[in-house]
Amino acid sequence: MAILKTLLYILAYPGFLFIFVYSTFCEWFDRKVYAHLQNRMGPTHTGRWGILQPVADFVKLLAKEDIVPERADKTLFTLLPVFGIAAVSTAMLLLPVWHYDLAQPSPNSFSGDIIVLLYILTLPTLVFFLAAWSSTSFFSTIGGARVLTMLFGYEVPLFLAVLSPAIMAGSWRLAEIAAFFAHKPLLILPNIIGFIVSVICLQAKLERTPFDIPHAETEIVGGTFTEYSGKKLALFRLMTDVEMVVGSGLIAAAFLGGFPGGVLLGFIHFVIKTLFIIFLLSLIRALTSRIRIDQVISFSWKYLAPLAVLQLLITIVLKGFSR
Amino acid sequence: MRIAAFLPEILRHLFKKPATVDYPFVKLEVPKDFRGTPFLHPELCIVCRACVRDCPAEAIDILTVSEADKKFKMIIHNDRCIHCAQCVESCPTTPKALEMDHLFEISAFSRWDLKKEWEYVKAQVKPKAAAGTPSAEAKS
Amino acid sequence: MKFTVPIGPQHPALKEPISLRMTLEGEVIRDADIRLGYNHRGLEKLAEEKTWLQNIYLTERICGICSHSHATCYTQGVEKLMEIEPPKRGIYLRFLVAELERVHSHLLWLGVAGHEAGFDTFFMYTWRDREVVMDILEMVSGNRVHYAINTLGGVRRDIDDLQKKKILDSLAILRQRTEYYLKIGANEPSFVARIAGVGHLSKEDALALCAVGPMARASDIAQDVRKDDPYGMYGEVPFEVATATTGDVLGRVVVRVKELMQSYNIIEFLLKNLPDGPVAVRAPRRAKPNEVVSRYEAPRGENIHYIRSNGTDKPERLKVRAPTLANYPATVVMLKNGFIADIPLIFAAIDPCICCAERTVTLVDGRSGQENIVLMSELRRRAQERWKKAPPKKDAVWPF
Repeated sequence: MAILKTLLYILAYPGFLFIFVYSTFCEWFDRKVYAHLQNRMGPTHTGRWGILQPVADFVKLLAKEDIVPERADKTLFTLLPVFGIAAVSTAMLLLPVWHYDLAQPSPNSFSGDIIVLLYILTLPTLVFFLAAWSSTSFFSTIGGARVLTMLFGYEVPLFLAVLSPAIMAGSWRLAEIAAFFAHKPLLILPNIIGFIVSVICLQAKLERTPFDIPHAETEIVGGTFTEYSGKKLALFRLMTDVEMVVGSGLIAAAFLGGFPGGVLLGFIHFVIKTLFIIFLLSLIRALTSRIRIDQVISFSWKYLAPLAVLQLLITIVLKGFSR
Repeated sequence: MRIAAFLPEILRHLFKKPATVDYPFVKLEVPKDFRGTPFLHPELCIVCRACVRDCPAEAIDILTVSEADKKFKMIIHNDRCIHCAQCVESCPTTPKALEMDHLFEISAFSRWDLKKEWEYVKAQVKPKAAAGTPSAEAKS
Repeated sequence: MKFTVPIGPQHPALKEPISLRMTLEGEVIRDADIRLGYNHRGLEKLAEEKTWLQNIYLTERICGICSHSHATCYTQGVEKLMEIEPPKRGIYLRFLVAELERVHSHLLWLGVAGHEAGFDTFFMYTWRDREVVMDILEMVSGNRVHYAINTLGGVRRDIDDLQKKKILDSLAILRQRTEYYLKIGANEPSFVARIAGVGHLSKEDALALCAVGPMARASDIAQDVRKDDPYGMYGEVPFEVATATTGDVLGRVVVRVKELMQSYNIIEFLLKNLPDGPVAVRAPRRAKPNEVVSRYEAPRGENIHYIRSNGTDKPERLKVRAPTLANYPATVVMLKNGFIADIPLIFAAIDPCICCAERTVTLVDGRSGQENIVLMSELRRRAQERWKKAPPKKDAVWPF
């Protein structure tokens, strides 16, 4: 009986089926908002309001021919998409939405799980780099080098910004941070700088405009993904979508007060708060143009990192006052 | 240099109707002088072959079916036509024997389906009546 | 460590096939080599087989964006050969369409520059406004591209008052949108960071390498065929030559937007002062033996057509020198010491119309300096010989 229940959890909710359905829904939402901001329609005809368009893209890619370049490292080339999906799906399980008891730790909610979540979210970036490196094509090598260079830019501000609500709440457990902010919603206001910095850093982690240099279409023909096709490319695209959901879930749990209220109400909170953050991400995407790699580094070290440190100082000062 | 200079504009567009026309469910209107495909009014053609001479793409052919009965056949190769309407302009009759229609959704599965043919008898040119000579009348 | 990377012939940044071989050191470009010929169609030879009237439609199809420039340049030259003078109303209408084409071409370029820089919102907005111009052109000439409004001796169609009013109304909308783009586009921080200081061409270099069009005008050279050698009615129309002093991609954006505003003024002047009368005169079938050079300011720069006739109804030689061809040497200089990330922007900033620039190929022997024009069959034979003799390479980076 327990085995059946675990199997249901892994396959249906909150397992692969739910991840697939929800992340394709979020991709549809992002594309629709982006299109309307640009005065055009976006996906319209596949399913009602085009809601099945990302699923259609996934199915179409599964049916295409899968070409592995001659000089590429075949084992690494084939295994990396699967490894990436595994990493982000595991990260999804650590969000405080499903089955946690605030009083005692459980395998998916324990003290220090915010650090573990941030660590697992670094894995997709390494997967991108290894995918680019093992493709041995000129364009993908440049893309891989750019992925790592960007990692030096946004990783530190992201960590600092996400850790300051943890300091304010006095705990390293995501569920407790979320509960703390759910009880005192006004405390988001001192954290607003950290919120903005973490949203921008999330945009950089997801490699979307203005930070989509590693797979800039007009310059290096696809960067990391140049040599991928067919099923592997479908899995990579799904991985980016799931990363988007996990990242916005992390920021919603840390800053916006999490997902309180039990099973049904918590789920509704999850949907609304992640869609809000995805709306902000689409807004940034429509607003700016791509910047060069050296400009990314200088921007993040000149503006983002100092702002994150400032946020940390504010949190520490406020915590000192409240004692 | 303003941060997010475009922001008010794009937020406003969130509530506007999209500029895209939902073709093919909504059809577009073409203006009245649109150059579509050429077609013939057979009763007006005097077989001067000016259109054949002037077509840049050699898309009009006039064949003689019977010299005695003055029957001719015009074939317009719409797969070669470049829709320039020079044939309409070169046609000397009034009203013009060739005219452009407004079709733009012209596609077929084979190029042989795009050729149109007309078989007709050559029309008589009415000579202009010289001033003050009532006997110079047309033979109809 | 230097290595050579090919951009093209197929590449998402290029709209047409061209091969740019860059020698790179890290992310910095050290040298660039441009190879042409992928879009060669044999138009100049085909022009010798068609009559003067049929050639208008042929020259129009040299390019899709600057189609009216080639057709007008050719028609001007042939009218000179045939010694006929089109009536005033015909000339005004011809250059009304010419200025509308300039508007559509510059709006297209603004969108393409935005897209190459990754600024897709700007791309969508400018191309939505370009639809206004395309609708006007469809109303005036019957087609959205390849207007075919020229004929030997004038234009083929006339416009009535209702159409005039529609054009003036659309102009008001376009003027407002263009001013908005100048105000915002030149101030959006990420966009300006991408295009400022990129692809710098100094004034001396621009003069020495014979840059034409907005490339030269952005390096502070006030050179415009409409002012230097007025053709048509440009002698009577008041307008200014738009220049910028920075000489980089931002300067070229500014020059093109300023030219847009000047074109709106010219169109308004033409519509308000349209003279009455016929729109065309009859043209003879044959032209006397003579040769003529016709110049025209296309949206990309100076367009030159050389036509020679020998008394028959077909031309003896037609030679087309498109503006993009004149800008290629300057592109090589601009690409040196730039970043890889800037290649699409620098190349897009010259507004490349590669199909305009593909004419006969001349082979220069590197050792003796001797030039000879080689037939296609000869080139094919040589390539097959070489292919048979060369051993198969496993790690070939570039097959030549």
